[in-house]
Amino acid sequence: MQRVRDHFRERGRNPTDVELQSIGQAWSEHCCYKSSKVFLKEYVFGINTKQVIDRGDAGVMEFDKDHAYALRIESHNHPSAVEPYGGAATGIGGIIRDVLCMGAQPIALVDPLFFGPLDYPPEKVPRGIKHPKYLFGGIVAGIRDYGNRVGLPTVSGGVWFDESYVGNCLVNVGCVGIADKKNIRRNAVKGPGDVLVLVGGRTGRDGIHGVTFASAVLTKETETESRGAVQLGDPIMKEPVIHALLDANERGLVNGMKDLGGGGLSCVVGEIALAGGCGAEVDLGKVPLKEEGLAPWEIWVSESQERMMLAVSPRNVDEVLHVFKLWDVPATPVGKVIPEKSVRLYFQGEKVFDVELEFLTAGPVYCRPCSVARTSGKKGDKAPKPKDRYDRELLKLLATPNICNKDYVIRQYDHEVRGNTVIKPLQGKLGHWSHGDAAVLKPVEDSFRGLAIATASNPFAVGIDPYRGGKTCVDEMCRNLAAVGARPHSFTNCLNFGNPEKPDRLWLFREAVRGMGEVAKSLGVPTPSGNVSFYNEAPSGAVLPTPAILGCGIVRDIRKCVTSDLKREGNTVAIVGATAPEMGASAYYRLTKSHSRRVPDVDIQALRAGMDVVIGGIERGAVVACHDISDGGLAVALAEMCVGGDVGLEADISKMEKLRSDVRLFSESNSRWVVELRKGKEKQLPKDRKTKVVRLGTVCGSSLKISANKVLVDVEVAKLADSFNSTLWRLMG
Amino acid sequence: MKASQVKVCVLRIEGTNCEEEMFMSFKRLGAKPEKVHLKQLTGTDVSQEEKRDLSDYHILALPGGFSAGDYVRAGAIFAARMKSKLSKDLVEFIKAGKPVLGVCNGFQILVETGLLPAMSGIMSEFPEAVLGTNDSARFECRPTLLRKVNRGSCAFTSRISPDKISLIPSAHAEGKLMFPLDRTKAVLRELEDNDQIVFKYVDPEGNLAGYPWCPNGATENIAGICNREGNVFGLMPHPERVFFRFTHPDWTRETDGPGDGRAVFESVLDYATRKL
Repeated sequence: MQRVRDHFRERGRNPTDVELQSIGQAWSEHCCYKSSKVFLKEYVFGINTKQVIDRGDAGVMEFDKDHAYALRIESHNHPSAVEPYGGAATGIGGIIRDVLCMGAQPIALVDPLFFGPLDYPPEKVPRGIKHPKYLFGGIVAGIRDYGNRVGLPTVSGGVWFDESYVGNCLVNVGCVGIADKKNIRRNAVKGPGDVLVLVGGRTGRDGIHGVTFASAVLTKETETESRGAVQLGDPIMKEPVIHALLDANERGLVNGMKDLGGGGLSCVVGEIALAGGCGAEVDLGKVPLKEEGLAPWEIWVSESQERMMLAVSPRNVDEVLHVFKLWDVPATPVGKVIPEKSVRLYFQGEKVFDVELEFLTAGPVYCRPCSVARTSGKKGDKAPKPKDRYDRELLKLLATPNICNKDYVIRQYDHEVRGNTVIKPLQGKLGHWSHGDAAVLKPVEDSFRGLAIATASNPFAVGIDPYRGGKTCVDEMCRNLAAVGARPHSFTNCLNFGNPEKPDRLWLFREAVRGMGEVAKSLGVPTPSGNVSFYNEAPSGAVLPTPAILGCGIVRDIRKCVTSDLKREGNTVAIVGATAPEMGASAYYRLTKSHSRRVPDVDIQALRAGMDVVIGGIERGAVVACHDISDGGLAVALAEMCVGGDVGLEADISKMEKLRSDVRLFSESNSRWVVELRKGKEKQLPKDRKTKVVRLGTVCGSSLKISANKVLVDVEVAKLADSFNSTLWRLMG
Repeated sequence: MKASQVKVCVLRIEGTNCEEEMFMSFKRLGAKPEKVHLKQLTGTDVSQEEKRDLSDYHILALPGGFSAGDYVRAGAIFAARMKSKLSKDLVEFIKAGKPVLGVCNGFQILVETGLLPAMSGIMSEFPEAVLGTNDSARFECRPTLLRKVNRGSCAFTSRISPDKISLIPSAHAEGKLMFPLDRTKAVLRELEDNDQIVFKYVDPEGNLAGYPWCPNGATENIAGICNREGNVFGLMPHPERVFFRFTHPDWTRETDGPGDGRAVFESVLDYATRKL
């Protein structure tokens, strides 16, 4: 506040209401990352490869010689908690615009979601907070109705459940796009004289103060106070905007463009102008409105949906307006670019705003204190009792909401519209399906090069050990991509954490970012875009620290890709990677109410070597099915592979590391995969001294049998499928 | 006429969203498809060079999507816009024996326009059938198997052998084909007699099966129908999504051969090159 007062005192006048509102938006955590910048800079921004083309509203990476892909993920947590259907839908809308304004055709959506338990006792839900089941239903429906209508396949994602999300669910939305390199645009004007054309939806009172609302803690008053901060989405405005905008851009009529997201006009005008080294003049009276009587400041900060700003050379304006007219999309010149680095606003002939851009966009950067979370070392280790058989534990794990089949959600999303989804999110023999690790798209017509998309998150691990947890998340992303035959190429992340003003929360953030950055840096996988969401807290406490990752990988030839379902009786099954007694945060320990602080670590050399073995095996045609080992460990991975293939497996795990049987079965050590090898081609699996490969057994029969000198698990596949498939249907039924 | 001379009008409005793969399915077979906005045919808001005449095309294709949002009954708005300005052109197009394809939302539009099932004449004044909300009351994106039951009338399935089971995936919320309840039996008999039923949802053994093999609860498991002449064809599942083998949901188990949807486009191009 001090800086604002000094600034206007120097100029000898009082700020107008438009000016104050504008600064409030631009300096919010949401817009300027004032608490997170320091750490992001230190740990993740530096990773670079020559494939990074741009870091704009979405990151842009090289796909092949002529094409680029764009990627971005962000949160839409607070709006979705207040208005689940509309909040989630507009989240999708916003992320699509981020990709679109790079000049890329959006081709895929990704949605990691985090909720409280669906069967949470209603009386325990804090006042003013909505029940997880209601939120889950509304959010899935919102994503479904928006994503399906706008015609983009939702190909990856995940649903996590934990009590910490009861007070503040997390809705992260990601989008990937593809473009000819020549059509890629910067989020910048070309120079003075450019006309600023506002396209898309009209401006109204919805979504006012969305970003400042997003940067506060949810309370029981949030509902009434902030309903107006949630925007209204309209996919049938967005769909033609995509066509018209890409059409105008391909014709070379657009110099630069930017999406109107958080902060609305107040953020976009300054940013797009300054990025081109200029300023801008805007006549707020020209902005098309939903209703009469909006005050200039409301027009300026409204976050009404489906809007984008285009910078167009004066000679091209008419043609641009014509293209939008064909699609019945409003397009209005509202201002022009000026050489002075200032933003000036006019309303009914009067100047209502005049601020230098360097002041407006120079939000403070804080170096807030952080300190080790108090929870460290609170709980001692407590291991479950060893047992003779683990049939019941396996069936229970398969049925837990965090592991169970998510087909209830996935089948409501169109995952193959556009006809390019080669590897789909649900995989298996016809009539049977289990989860895949990554989806693969074939985005370029005359090329078999594929773009793999995977989601990864492990809030449980990050919650116990943020540094190792952060590493684990990146490892999981790499595992998922490698499992279909893709080399990790880039990733974007959404970091959902609590209130950064609390030192222990900020420490969690710093440690998680440090862990993620360490693995990514060492593998040379850049993160060309990202998003931070703080203040994910309700009076009941903060959510588990939750980094959600959207990873992209390159597949050299999609015809070599594999899925997770077991293929053929008689084939050999093996485990790739080393298993350790790292049971902290494991699904098995959570199920048995056991504790350990030993969260899986990442041996980066082993991860790299393991990926080479798996990807090499897939490319040589030796591997016909592959599944990464994550939640629930080896036993769950094997069970899922059996369910997808509708076939049994006999596995002997006695040749694995000398560990307790339940550790062998359920450890979630990183950098591990199960592979099914084509008969006669087993030797083609690349060998590497850093990578342990243990033969487990053979695909056969109709039961999953796991033994180590004695039988540990023997369950019919039909029974595994029943446990795995029924949970969400029952809870949502 | 050669395939390279066959001009295909891939018609769209706001919310149509499967036009790219529909366009490509014709293009890959050497035809000349063009994505055309309805306003280019009606001459609204377009320049002279953007104007198009339906009669210049040989095939009309209505792709899937959520035209105009489908916030009322699916396909109704597109159908109303088409009917008010293009009825005459459409009737002439069909009378000339030119093929019309409607997939998913396109099928819904054909039914709402009265071009299917068109039991008497070319375009009925009111819809004679409806694609109602799925029995599950949800959007269903899943693989479906279709048995060809058409005996030869349909211009879009000549390359598919009788009773062959094709994997053509579904993705819709309103695909339950129904006829006036008091006349369902009679309508079915007539459709059967006219050879207007083209595809039925079946299980892997080829039997008419319930959910999820039939994703919507359609009458008699009917997935697609044609008009009496066989040149207007609508179906809920998406042949354009399985043009290639590698977009089949289970292709990694069986990698050889073309996609099952390709034959639909080959058939109609066959028809066009022979008849037009």
